[in-house]
Amino acid sequence: MHEQHPRTLPVQYSDIEFENNAQRLPLVLCLDTSSSMNGRPIDTLNEALDSWTHELQHDVGLSYSVEVAVITFGGHGVRAWQGPNPLQPDTRVSPFVPAHAFRAPRFTASGVTLLTEALELAMQIVAARKTELRAAGLQYYRPQICLVTDGLPTDGTGHYTESWRRVVPVLGDEQLARRFRLYAIGVGGITDQGEAVLRELAPKFNARLQGFPFKELLQMMSASASAEQKGAGDEVFEKIFSQFRTQRPAWES
Amino acid sequence: MTGRIVLLGQEETRLAAEPLKSGGQAAVFPVLGAGHTVVKLYRDPPGPDQERRLERMLAMAPLGGRPVEAAQPPELAWPTALARGPRGEFLGYAMRSFGEPGHVQLVGLFTRAQRLRLFPPRTDWRFLLGVAWNLAFMTVRMHHEGLFVGDFSASNVVVDANGFVTFLDCDSIAFTDAATGEHFPCTMQTPDYSAPERQEGGPATAASDDFALAVLAYQLLTAGNHPFGGVPRDSDSQSTVKDNIASSASYVVRPEDIVVPRGVVDPSVLPPALLELARTAFGPGVLDVSARPSAADWLRALDGERGRVRQCGDRPRHSYGGHLGACPWCARARATGQDAFNPPAAAPAAPVPAAAPGATGAGQPVPVALVAVIVVAVLVLLVVIAAA
Repeated sequence: MHEQHPRTLPVQYSDIEFENNAQRLPLVLCLDTSSSMNGRPIDTLNEALDSWTHELQHDVGLSYSVEVAVITFGGHGVRAWQGPNPLQPDTRVSPFVPAHAFRAPRFTASGVTLLTEALELAMQIVAARKTELRAAGLQYYRPQICLVTDGLPTDGTGHYTESWRRVVPVLGDEQLARRFRLYAIGVGGITDQGEAVLRELAPKFNARLQGFPFKELLQMMSASASAEQKGAGDEVFEKIFSQFRTQRPAWES
Repeated sequence: MTGRIVLLGQEETRLAAEPLKSGGQAAVFPVLGAGHTVVKLYRDPPGPDQERRLERMLAMAPLGGRPVEAAQPPELAWPTALARGPRGEFLGYAMRSFGEPGHVQLVGLFTRAQRLRLFPPRTDWRFLLGVAWNLAFMTVRMHHEGLFVGDFSASNVVVDANGFVTFLDCDSIAFTDAATGEHFPCTMQTPDYSAPERQEGGPATAASDDFALAVLAYQLLTAGNHPFGGVPRDSDSQSTVKDNIASSASYVVRPEDIVVPRGVVDPSVLPPALLELARTAFGPGVLDVSARPSAADWLRALDGERGRVRQCGDRPRHSYGGHLGACPWCARARATGQDAFNPPAAAPAAPVPAAAPGATGAGQPVPVALVAVIVVAVLVLLVVIAAA
């Protein structure tokens, strides 16, 4: 008689998969879900995130390397999501989910634009993830943070705040040290002033897009992730990014 | 919605609007109405060098005149025509399409879930060994014809269901044109597979291909582990595969210096001759090009092992090198609870002929246990009755 087959453990132990030793690529989507995104924009975002998730799951090169975390800033303040599930603010659970297992959250739009705090949380979870990966003996490519907003940073009462200026030097230092790459993208009716904020936050990779082209935006993040795996130089990222910029009405400044 | 029209040779050809793949340097478009052809268009207008390179490539027939099995796809995604705009300007080139599901990037063999999803159900270590052999064989063949892959990586090679490999992105291959003596260098590289001398800006050579081949062969033979994975104990916080290559830090050679992930497969699954090559390639051969094993060395050693593969009688999809007395994948599953080749839920359920002999009854443990309980209960009852 053969001995019984050993019991198999769950696929996931903690949140680091056993049978996957690929070099990881943490990717943070830092998304504005404030009230100005209500209606068509938030629907477009939800749809685009759904189909991007599907594409990413089937990308043989990215699905076991990319890890996705989502941060929103809107009705519930700043919130991290682990796949479709919102996390408690003081949790120690990592919001990063391997791309092949990632499922998209569904957002509703409301509330204020705590952009500064959202960016700070993004930097924090990236740093924490790197520590976790390292401790597990896993390597990582340079993480990507993608900030998307249609407005100006506000405080908790919805009034414009200059607090974003406090993260500018930190972002500059961190990027100089190649700790992550930040893309800052203005959509919809973002104003000149809003665009100026993004330019300060991400001097190289900022853009103002017509409408809400979330599909193209997310595809750009995948292209950037592939380029990172191929070890592309900065000029390639600039090229990928500039291709994705769009025309704008000639009337705008 | 349709896309732009390009000239392939003399023929006006309409491309799909959406590219199949799009990167920083180029995008690949399907040709409408020609399912097997795709066109790669460069983003920036390619220079005259690139045009001459492609023209020379069209005149060459690499690896030609050799019998290949009818079921075998072409070994190289070689250019089939130049793509030009309406005014004759050079835009890119056409080639045969090698997409999923028929052709999967090599990286798809490096995780269990993707092997199970993208490859035939019986994909096992024997298959991985055979793919490694095909890779080594192709590398030897190309070197023999003076072609250097240059950008040799797990995403630039695709594998089909029979383990035949095809090299993609041939427009970056390094070669010297026999007619004019002009050399066309390879300007692309992938850091995870770049030998240190290439990371430092050196040209693509047979030796740099040999390095990439060694890494890929090792990954195949360990079901996906990169030999320069893990974090060196003394490294700074941004350590990557590229850094480990540059500092010659491999756990295959110096396990005591590297923190490796829990799931790393023990290098001893490689038969001794192959492990010896790996230790040389990832030890002295990293920095000393003359010590690095050649593609021919790998081919010879791989050749020696193909006839010795053993089949595990206990679990499906378990095969292993003839140097081992027992199945290493079963041992690993016992030790870790993780089966490197079978789905996590119900490993014994998958019916595969190789597992059939002697496995009878293993599928019904519950009835057997139930019968035993009933027999014991009846016996106890009888004893109780007899005693009374």
